Amino acid sequence: MRIFQKTNFNFIRNRKIAYGFSIILLLAGMVSLGVKGLNYGIDFRGGSEVVIRFEKNADVGQIRSVLDAAGVSGTLKQYGMDRSFLLSTVFQGDTGQLKSLVSNALNDRIKGNHHEIVRIDAVGPSIASDLKWSALKALIASLLAILLYVGIRFEIKFATAGVVAIFHDILTVLGLFSILGGIFTFMPLEMDQSIIAAFLTIAGYSITDTVVVYDRIRERIRGQKPSDYERIFNESMNQTLSRTIITSGTVLLSVFVLFIFAGPAIRGFAFAVFAGILIGTYSSIFVAAPLVYDWLKITKSSVRLRGSKAA
Amino acid sequence: MKNKRFNLFLIAVVTLVAAWSLWPTWRDYTLSKQLNSFGSVQDSLKFALSHREEIEDARKKSLKLGLDLRGGMHLVMEVDQVDLFEQKAWNKDEKFTSIMQAVRAKSTESDARVIDLLVGAFRSDNIRLSRYFYDIRNSDQEIVGKLEKESADALNRAKEIIRNRIDQYGVAEPVITTQGSRKIIIELPGVSDENRVRNLLKGTAKLEFRLLREPEVMVRTLDRINSYLVQNSTLAKESTVTASPSVTPSTPSGAAPAPPVNKTQSVNPLYDLVGVFQNGSAYTPEHSRESLLTLLRRSDIQALLPMDTELLLAAKPDIGKTGEKLYSLYLVKKAPELTGGVITEAKATFGSQGVQPEVLMSMNTEGTGKWARITGANIGKRIAIVLDGAVYSAPVVQSKIPNGNSVINGIESLEEAKDLEIVLKAGALPAPVRITEERSVGPSLGADYIRAGVQSLGWAFLAVSLFMLLYYKKAGIAADIALVLNILIVLSVLAGFNASLSLPGIAGIVLTIGMAVDANVLIYERIREELAEGKSVATAVMQGYDRAFSSILDSHVTTLSAAFLLYTYGIGPIQGFAVTLMIGTSASLFTAIVVTREIFHILLSKNLMSDKSFG
Repeated sequence: MRIFQKTNFNFIRNRKIAYGFSIILLLAGMVSLGVKGLNYGIDFRGGSEVVIRFEKNADVGQIRSVLDAAGVSGTLKQYGMDRSFLLSTVFQGDTGQLKSLVSNALNDRIKGNHHEIVRIDAVGPSIASDLKWSALKALIASLLAILLYVGIRFEIKFATAGVVAIFHDILTVLGLFSILGGIFTFMPLEMDQSIIAAFLTIAGYSITDTVVVYDRIRERIRGQKPSDYERIFNESMNQTLSRTIITSGTVLLSVFVLFIFAGPAIRGFAFAVFAGILIGTYSSIFVAAPLVYDWLKITKSSVRLRGSKAA
Repeated sequence: MKNKRFNLFLIAVVTLVAAWSLWPTWRDYTLSKQLNSFGSVQDSLKFALSHREEIEDARKKSLKLGLDLRGGMHLVMEVDQVDLFEQKAWNKDEKFTSIMQAVRAKSTESDARVIDLLVGAFRSDNIRLSRYFYDIRNSDQEIVGKLEKESADALNRAKEIIRNRIDQYGVAEPVITTQGSRKIIIELPGVSDENRVRNLLKGTAKLEFRLLREPEVMVRTLDRINSYLVQNSTLAKESTVTASPSVTPSTPSGAAPAPPVNKTQSVNPLYDLVGVFQNGSAYTPEHSRESLLTLLRRSDIQALLPMDTELLLAAKPDIGKTGEKLYSLYLVKKAPELTGGVITEAKATFGSQGVQPEVLMSMNTEGTGKWARITGANIGKRIAIVLDGAVYSAPVVQSKIPNGNSVINGIESLEEAKDLEIVLKAGALPAPVRITEERSVGPSLGADYIRAGVQSLGWAFLAVSLFMLLYYKKAGIAADIALVLNILIVLSVLAGFNASLSLPGIAGIVLTIGMAVDANVLIYERIREELAEGKSVATAVMQGYDRAFSSILDSHVTTLSAAFLLYTYGIGPIQGFAVTLMIGTSASLFTAIVVTREIFHILLSKNLMSDKSFG
């Protein structure tokens, strides 16, 4: 079976359209980030969360009023699991107190529908700022590491364009999180630790995709004249297109499975990775390589690539 | 050819090691299934006894499940370094207290190191640290070094004491580690009574024996505070005439509503909170307790107490005539006569009447001697037994106690007495600790997570392997075999290194399933290209592997470095994800390249491959 027999798309000629599309995508995200901001989870803002599961269907409004009456301040939302609710409050060092307050109120006022507190998370403010910092450090360090490695294996133009593509992917997903955050009850799209993990996964995947295209360019560009670069870039991208699509396909398949089956704790992560893979695949073809091409064209330099004897 | 045989050997070894490492997990699974299949309890007990060694061995070596899958508690506790440094200081005066207060406020907001905050605060006030710490001749540098060492020691001691407490409480496979300069991370799988554990962990367990001042002194002190408050409130009245009359102090949410302390004009503000009996003992009802504690913390109130004394509340309330809970008030000397360091043994029992639980303590020789002297010198007086700043009891000394025995009573339940026994035996923490992060998952949610994880694994594997089969035909089989081996390797490495599998870890494996075939896709696409150029299958396979290699290496290195950094900077659940992703990616270098290549070698040598084999 073959999905792409022999393709001959002119990616390079149409690159301006792609640039425009990317810029619109990024701008939309930035505007939303500026106006609406992000929906931070307790990992990054501190706070307590309680997941309550009932035996039978229960009404959000009723539970909310019961908890209000008991003096539990906070917001109650449907949680992405059957008959479950998520209560989020400010950070409380003594979760035992919170738990018994909630439990007693629900036992007293909602009879005949047994409930169970299945999860409690409490993150203090100092931990939250710790987590934020280490998340940022991890992201920056990984981008630097990628820049360094690709810079050594290829050359700095390729590496920079690759990192720009990663930025493009992560910022787009971040923008998506801002735009879609809080709209769906089954996935609140909160920024938490798992989303940072998703970003690093996206970064790794995006550069993987880009490197495969670069590798083909490197193999073919040796000793060629700069005037042939457009043809070589196009051919390389077309030759790797099949692989790019198939690998994205298998990864998307497994991430989709995660999204469907792995439950609410993983759903935000799965969504981020899914979106990131789609965009990362797009950017490796439409952003990274064309940027290198433009850069080469503007500086009128020829490529001096390291590595690979290009057997 | 020699190389080829070596590869085959390597594959066999890896497969065997993986199987061997996962064997106990399989045994554990089948054994516990067998155990549950028996109709009666006796039968399963009999089976458990007869197979005890095997069951235990399998369980010990099997793949561990993470806290989120088994249910349990994850706690991060912070050692209060501000308190620790305060303990180390001498010569404390107003200035020192105010600086330390500022440092404390800052330390709860930022994650900067407390020692840096401390140095910064003193430097901005142009005060040398040696004014309060260690020797006057020490430079700031030296003092910082000493304090740093002190806090590192304190962290380790706190960790050991907490480990002791947990061990004595009895939790299977607790994991206790330190992080940074002030955090202790505690993982307790399968804990059901979270409240009890929390209380067990967070108490400092600082036991003190303190002399009580005479009741008349306390009554006079209370009077003095009261008249001071009267004066002050009239002053406040005069200065803020426009203030709304119904201002009540804000209380933490969930606490009992505060009594209207600032009622338009109370005649005796203190006695709204405190009652005094005829015999000179004082008490506060439960609903006023918080307000009284806030009041007592004020420095202007503390200045009204007699020199070197402190007002403490009882740990447990007495029940008043009207059924209200009343906490007794004690005026005690600030300096303890004796501290818990001398306690060698503690035992929870029932008291002489057989109903009141109590804790018997015995002391080491040094403590015994001191205790005899103290009790001998204070016959007829009362000595308060204070634990973490709350008075448990304040018995009157009847006679000299020569044998170093003492008793804590005023305990509600035997369970609480048992917990006291544990913390007293484990010793006091060098500084207070507080819980800054807690995550607990109930066992039923854990079971849900396991089901969700297994389902995701199954479906992802099915989808990806089917796709490879459809798309690449015969070559797809090779890729699928490699995929199975890859998953086995990930699980066996986890089991072998005693790491645990969490839900994010499973997510990592699912993602690996999608990514691991990438190497095969790269190779197969290349082989198809070579075939399209009209090369023979054997040549195409060889060149396909060779030419795809550089792409595969580059892409794996980048994925690995991202996962590694995630592991380095991430904590807890995220690390689980990073670990499985790292193992899976590294393993796919082996499975997707070496294993599939060997399969093709064998097939080629048996003439079972054609140019149709790659779909």
